[in-house]
Amino acid sequence: MQIETALLVGLLFAVSVYLLLHKSFVRILFGFVTLTNATNLFLISMSGDPDGKRAPILGEGSGPIVDPLPQALVLTAIVIGFGLTIYLIMLLYRIFLDAKTTDASKLFLPEADDE
Amino acid sequence: MCGYFLAAGPPTGAWAADFREIAMASTTITLSLVILLPVLAVPLVLALASRLGPRVGYLTAAAPLGSAGLLAWIAASAGSQPRVILEIPWVPQLGVNLSFLVDGLSIFYGFVICAIGVLVCWYAAEYLGRKYAHARFYSCLLFFMAAMLGTVFSNNLLLLFVFWELTGVASFLLIGFFHESDESRRGARQALLVTAATGLCMLVGIILLGLASGTYSLARLADGSLSDYKDVGWITASCVLLLVGAFGKSAQFPFQFWLPGAMAAPTPVSAYLHSATMVKLGVFLTGRIFPIFHSLELWFWLVCGVGFFTMLLGAFLALRSNDLKAILAYSTVSQLGFLIGAYGVGSKTGIQADTLHVLSHVLYKGSLFMTAGIVDHCTGLRDVRRLGGLGRYMPVTAFSAAIGVAALAGLPLTTGFISKELLLADLVDAKAWVWFALVVISATLTVAFAARLFFNVFTGSKPDALSVHRPGWAIQTPPLLLAMAALILGAFPGLLDGTLNAIKVAGLQEEEPIHLALWHGFNLEVLTTALIILCGGGLYLLCQKSGWKRAEIPGFLRFDVAFERGLDGLSVFSKKLTLALRADWPPAYLPIVIFFLLISLAGTVAVSSTRFFEGFSAIDISLSPLHTFVAFMIAASLVGVIVLRRWTTQLIALSVAGFFLTFYFVLYRAPDLAMTQILVESASVVMILLLLSRFPSSQLLRSEEKREAKGRIFRVILSGGVGLVMTCLVLFADRHSHPDPIGPKYLELSKPLAEGTNAVNTILVDFRGFDTLGEITVLLVATLGALGLMMRYKRGRAGNDPASAPGFFLEKKRRP
Repeated sequence: MQIETALLVGLLFAVSVYLLLHKSFVRILFGFVTLTNATNLFLISMSGDPDGKRAPILGEGSGPIVDPLPQALVLTAIVIGFGLTIYLIMLLYRIFLDAKTTDASKLFLPEADDE
Repeated sequence: MCGYFLAAGPPTGAWAADFREIAMASTTITLSLVILLPVLAVPLVLALASRLGPRVGYLTAAAPLGSAGLLAWIAASAGSQPRVILEIPWVPQLGVNLSFLVDGLSIFYGFVICAIGVLVCWYAAEYLGRKYAHARFYSCLLFFMAAMLGTVFSNNLLLLFVFWELTGVASFLLIGFFHESDESRRGARQALLVTAATGLCMLVGIILLGLASGTYSLARLADGSLSDYKDVGWITASCVLLLVGAFGKSAQFPFQFWLPGAMAAPTPVSAYLHSATMVKLGVFLTGRIFPIFHSLELWFWLVCGVGFFTMLLGAFLALRSNDLKAILAYSTVSQLGFLIGAYGVGSKTGIQADTLHVLSHVLYKGSLFMTAGIVDHCTGLRDVRRLGGLGRYMPVTAFSAAIGVAALAGLPLTTGFISKELLLADLVDAKAWVWFALVVISATLTVAFAARLFFNVFTGSKPDALSVHRPGWAIQTPPLLLAMAALILGAFPGLLDGTLNAIKVAGLQEEEPIHLALWHGFNLEVLTTALIILCGGGLYLLCQKSGWKRAEIPGFLRFDVAFERGLDGLSVFSKKLTLALRADWPPAYLPIVIFFLLISLAGTVAVSSTRFFEGFSAIDISLSPLHTFVAFMIAASLVGVIVLRRWTTQLIALSVAGFFLTFYFVLYRAPDLAMTQILVESASVVMILLLLSRFPSSQLLRSEEKREAKGRIFRVILSGGVGLVMTCLVLFADRHSHPDPIGPKYLELSKPLAEGTNAVNTILVDFRGFDTLGEITVLLVATLGALGLMMRYKRGRAGNDPASAPGFFLEKKRRP
């Protein structure tokens, strides 16, 4: 049983949503990073309780081995999440350069668009 | 290509099979040519339109003429009461083939389309002046013809739907031919929206029927019986939906409003599409599905109810209109109701002479539209109140019109009389007195406005303001031909016996042969007709006396106005909704998106909660100390991210959480993940640091203090809900893992197939190599996107502004 993982996934998602709902770019960015981590943990928890199992590398010792597929998927997910994070960083910087604000609520408003 | 005879029975012997195959192949090619010939003629028309001018219409007429010739060959070779199915495989896996059904009904409609097509091209060549875009007009017309022919010959219901919608598209282009005029665009839009929307209902009906019966073939459906099919509810629903499609196309109540709007089209188009062919598709479809559905109780009530009510409504509206084409349009609506209602009355054994009704309407209504066009052409007016005395200037047209209105009113010696007598007889036989009364009332109204159409336009004295020029012979001939046909076939109906009996369709029409005669003896129908003519004449005189003062359509029947208002209201509503939801502003829409995400996830959990909670108490809830410790550390640093005030400390807390997560991956026996996570985490922290160092600290601080305080409780509730649901999902997934997971198979195959011991690596590079390729692509795209964001930055901003940096790392760091 993975109660601690379940609780941790819940907390990660809660924190990330909480941060994403802010207006500050910094908080949104932190929320996004947390969301990536939350999703990765959620996926890896699908491989089941790891206690008493070995890493999915053959030829070392004996006994049950954990499911390798979620690990492969999460590996892909980590890298893609990283790519998206970098893109988001650049996007936020660009928006800051254009709109001169780090407040999402000031974007797209007609009165804020003084150019 | 392959095909087979259904009616002819199984061929005997190999030789016979071969012979039939050859015969069928040639028939298939011929039928394809019948349908494609109009389309094939389009390039020729386009090429010659500028050289020939209006005369290109005569050239265009060659295409339907050729189709008619080929069709005659098919009809002759198929014999009496034919039933041939021709199939060209298209998507056989889905049961979608180019399957065509050649039987009495499709041959009849095919001939109508071709014959009226020839006359309309002829008429249009004379009607359309030099200044019109002839190439566009005739190519749309030919495109429409091909779509119509395809529709009537389709055996596969899905194919029928495709052609059906193509006719709608073509009619949209033709109605909107004068696209500079507002009225024209509105009419075209109404027609398209109504017919396409009802067509979509029809598609749903078709799919339901296909799922319930297992076939889309009309022939096979007509042979089957409803009791064999899966579900009565599905059959009933598909019947209603198919009828909605038919009612929409044939402008039946409550869709009757689009047809008068479509009168903005040039008159040849009105004569072709909106009297003779396209609006007949609804009637055609009703006939096609009659053998499938007529045993339903609902059929009688729905088809008769809508049909005869529309007949009355159309006649009433025609009586209260003043525009020549509007009167004709409403009378078409009314007559279409009559034609469709006739299918409702059909007894269990079938319908009598429905093709005769259609033929009669095609002849007189086509002729009437053409005469209306001639009147419009010669006087520039279509308002009945301002016309009069035209008979002296155009006697031939007046003659055609006289026969046309006589047939419309159902006077003896015209086809209209015969077909109405037959339908009244059917109603008497069925003892359907309510429908009988509706038909009698609407026929009376029809007599009144038919009389007005003729007497107020062609007789009496010409108003002084009216200037008339005489029409040429060529333009008057097509309506005259149609009118003469209505007259001759009405006077000698016996001429039609052979044809009508030869094109009977099993399951649709009654088995016993028809014998038409002008005089069937003195009976209730004749008496009723006499009464109708007398009352209608009286009504005409009464209205004439009052000067047609009340000839205006009452507001509550202006469905077109309501429709337009609804359309406008829809766009206003969506604009307001978009503004209210602030779809351009993340702080407003993000909570909404998350809220609905939460609802859907929580719904999933709640629905399966019984399975989830069963045996929950029996679960071992012991916690692993190491896991709990790491989880606690992650949780603590996450709380730090939220609670800490300065972004530097927040970032430190965030990266602490990230590095502890690496440790958690180790606990999950995932060394590769742990390594990747460390690298990614480090790189991310560096990048975030670079970004945040560029933000002015004043803005960062301000954002923390003032604006974020608002709505904190709402955020806490929403994020708490998401966290709770995700926790439940993990527990749920843990309880119910798949009995046969694919992961162990990769483990087994890792060594023999991929020559690797690390299963995660072999999955990534061997078994699921394409996923990895996709991942690399995503990274590449993200990199290019990030580069693009930086490189396209506008130059020429103030130099001392920190926000003016042209790149991210590319210039020296400035002191603010």
